[in-house]
Amino acid sequence: MLEDYFRQYGLIAILALVAVAVPTSMLAFSWLASRVGIRPANPTPVKLETYECGVETIGGAWNRFNFRYYLYAILFVIFDVEVVFLYPWATKFIRLELFALIEMGVFVAILLVGWAYAWRKRDLEWGS
Amino acid sequence: MPGLTDNLYLLTPEFALAGLAFLVFIIDLLLPEERKDLLGWLSVAGLLGVVALSLVMLPGKEATLYGGLLAVDGYSLFFKVFFLGLGVFIILSSIDYVKLHLNHPGEFYGLLLFSILGMNLMAQSRELLTAYISLELLSFSLYVMVAYALNNAKSNEGSLKYIIIGAFSSAILLYGISMVYSALGVTRFEGISAALSSITDLRPALWVGLALIMVGLGFKLAAVPFHMWAPDAYEGAPLPVTAYLAIASKAAAFALVLRLLSEAFVPAADRWDQWQIIVATLAALSMLVGNLVALAQRNLKRLMAYSSIGHVGYILAGAVALSTDSLLGANGIIFYLVGYSITSIVVFAALIAFFNATGQEEIPDLAGLADRQPFLAMAIAVSFFSLGGLPIFVGFTMKFYLFTAVANAGYLWLAGLAIFTSLVSLYYYLQVIRQMYIQPALAAPATDAADGPGEHPPAEPESEHTHTPSHHEPSGDYEPLPRPSALLLVVMVLGLVAVVGLGVYPAPLLELVEGASAAILPGG
Amino acid sequence: MVPLVYFQLLSAALFIIGLYGVMARRSAVLIIMSIELMLNAVNINLIAAASHREGWGSFVNFDGQIIAIFIITVAAAEVGLAMAIILRMYRNRATVNVDEIDLMKW
Repeated sequence: MLEDYFRQYGLIAILALVAVAVPTSMLAFSWLASRVGIRPANPTPVKLETYECGVETIGGAWNRFNFRYYLYAILFVIFDVEVVFLYPWATKFIRLELFALIEMGVFVAILLVGWAYAWRKRDLEWGS
Repeated sequence: MPGLTDNLYLLTPEFALAGLAFLVFIIDLLLPEERKDLLGWLSVAGLLGVVALSLVMLPGKEATLYGGLLAVDGYSLFFKVFFLGLGVFIILSSIDYVKLHLNHPGEFYGLLLFSILGMNLMAQSRELLTAYISLELLSFSLYVMVAYALNNAKSNEGSLKYIIIGAFSSAILLYGISMVYSALGVTRFEGISAALSSITDLRPALWVGLALIMVGLGFKLAAVPFHMWAPDAYEGAPLPVTAYLAIASKAAAFALVLRLLSEAFVPAADRWDQWQIIVATLAALSMLVGNLVALAQRNLKRLMAYSSIGHVGYILAGAVALSTDSLLGANGIIFYLVGYSITSIVVFAALIAFFNATGQEEIPDLAGLADRQPFLAMAIAVSFFSLGGLPIFVGFTMKFYLFTAVANAGYLWLAGLAIFTSLVSLYYYLQVIRQMYIQPALAAPATDAADGPGEHPPAEPESEHTHTPSHHEPSGDYEPLPRPSALLLVVMVLGLVAVVGLGVYPAPLLELVEGASAAILPGG
Repeated sequence: MVPLVYFQLLSAALFIIGLYGVMARRSAVLIIMSIELMLNAVNINLIAAASHREGWGSFVNFDGQIIAIFIITVAAAEVGLAMAIILRMYRNRATVNVDEIDLMKW
């Protein structure tokens, strides 16, 4: 049984080999081509940019995010986690009785109180 | 699904309490700022209603809900009423403080109610996950409440340390639970006890898991060597929250530990012998470290923190005396919790009154309090004598019962150590009392007298906790403090009556306590 | 099926890495992340145990997985709270470095 198990890893190893080989061989071929003079070497500033097309990049990637995103992240987490409970409930919904529906109603209502709280405290408004 | 929902009505008090908490949050959104102290009164009224509801509905009921996750029995009823009562007194003594020093009163009371709900469920849960979730309901509310003085750096710092250590200890506790689950496939207390008594060769994984659970709970109890968060959280928190941490959260953690030990560990008598040694070590360390470090403290909250660590040691010593054939240990623990809580409420109500009047919380600030406000000094002195274990106060009775139980269980050295450290604790309690009665009052410096720190309480919305360093020269004349507010007076008087009354005549309470401990140790 | 021990080793390794992070990191945010790692180790342990069911007692199929769901929720709430407190700390003290959070000692 254990051998079967490692045999599966063999497949992954082959896939990994192929995945590494394809881009490596492309790069190697390109390098060889420039060696024998088939590939022209003609760099311009535009060609050397990170993205040759699309919107030009502004600033580095290490700038700070606005503090206000934090509140949205928290609210997102509330509703994100709600789904963790909703999902198993929904898969067995047919077999559960009315009681489960009421319970889930109570659960969602509790979360809505939290949401109403944030709304009323003006945490959902970007301005000011 | 039948069976799961049959006796759901037995949880009505919990549903009512949760509803009350939500009601407070919702009303808070609608009330204008200047009428928010209504919420405190609403919470008190609601809590009293829930007490009445539990007392009408639950006595004599014995049931388990949700397939054995929660127990409704004498033990949980006792603690339920106890916690709700504590909640009432804590709210009563914090109404003034919240009005003077804290913003956002609505959330304060709402969180307090949620944490009481968590404590009630802790006393009821008979399964590790349920216990953990209830514990977190309590802890999360406390994390926020410790940080309640938003602009006070100490409050932030205390809360940050509390939440990091708290989350860390939760992770350890959960890892223990997961190891127990993977070794046994059960998380219910009675399942664990069945496994412990029937398996002959325990796997090391199970041992490690149980030990990790102990460590996690040790953090929550603030038992040495897992206590380092407690002094900082206590000192940083606003005073009513410190009171709440010291009294209610500790009692709730012990309610959980007591049920866990007596339903999961004690029935497996052979293994329990081995655990006893570990618990005894924790107890001895807590007594020694708590009481010895308390000797060096200047801040009153910090002093109370270390003294409470010492008391955790005594109660853990009582846990060593738990056994299937005697209720003495369990009785001692529950009685000790009640006595300690009542006494501490008096201490903290007096400290809150003192802080409301002066804004100070260092021990030297208390100098001459006996002249400046005799009643406050008397309340603090009586309750400190009680905590130190002097007769006619409840402190003596509770220590007597608990230490007797420990000695009867054969742990004479532990009982001896407990008595010795009690004597040590008297020393620092007496230091405070000396400060109040013998040390002359500090003359108020001219600048302070001008704006009169004693005349009217500091009314800034955020508590700044600025301690004016009290290096003024002592002199004969002193400034009397204003009388504490009627609310705090009521709390203190009721508490003092209970401290003396239970010290002289503990029989009625002991009867109730015996009923509670018989529910978790049926063999006794 | 992969033997249970492998999962337990993975979980233990993750837990130890998290433990190391809590001890060694100086930024409060990274400490919280390390604690999350420890909680995830717990989840792996629980789910693996629930699906293998090797042991003493009567494993109910879904117990471990249900516990894991609850742990995920509690962990999310914990991070939210901790981040709020850390932000408050940063506003007051302009640091989240736990070495510098030393107003109170002993």
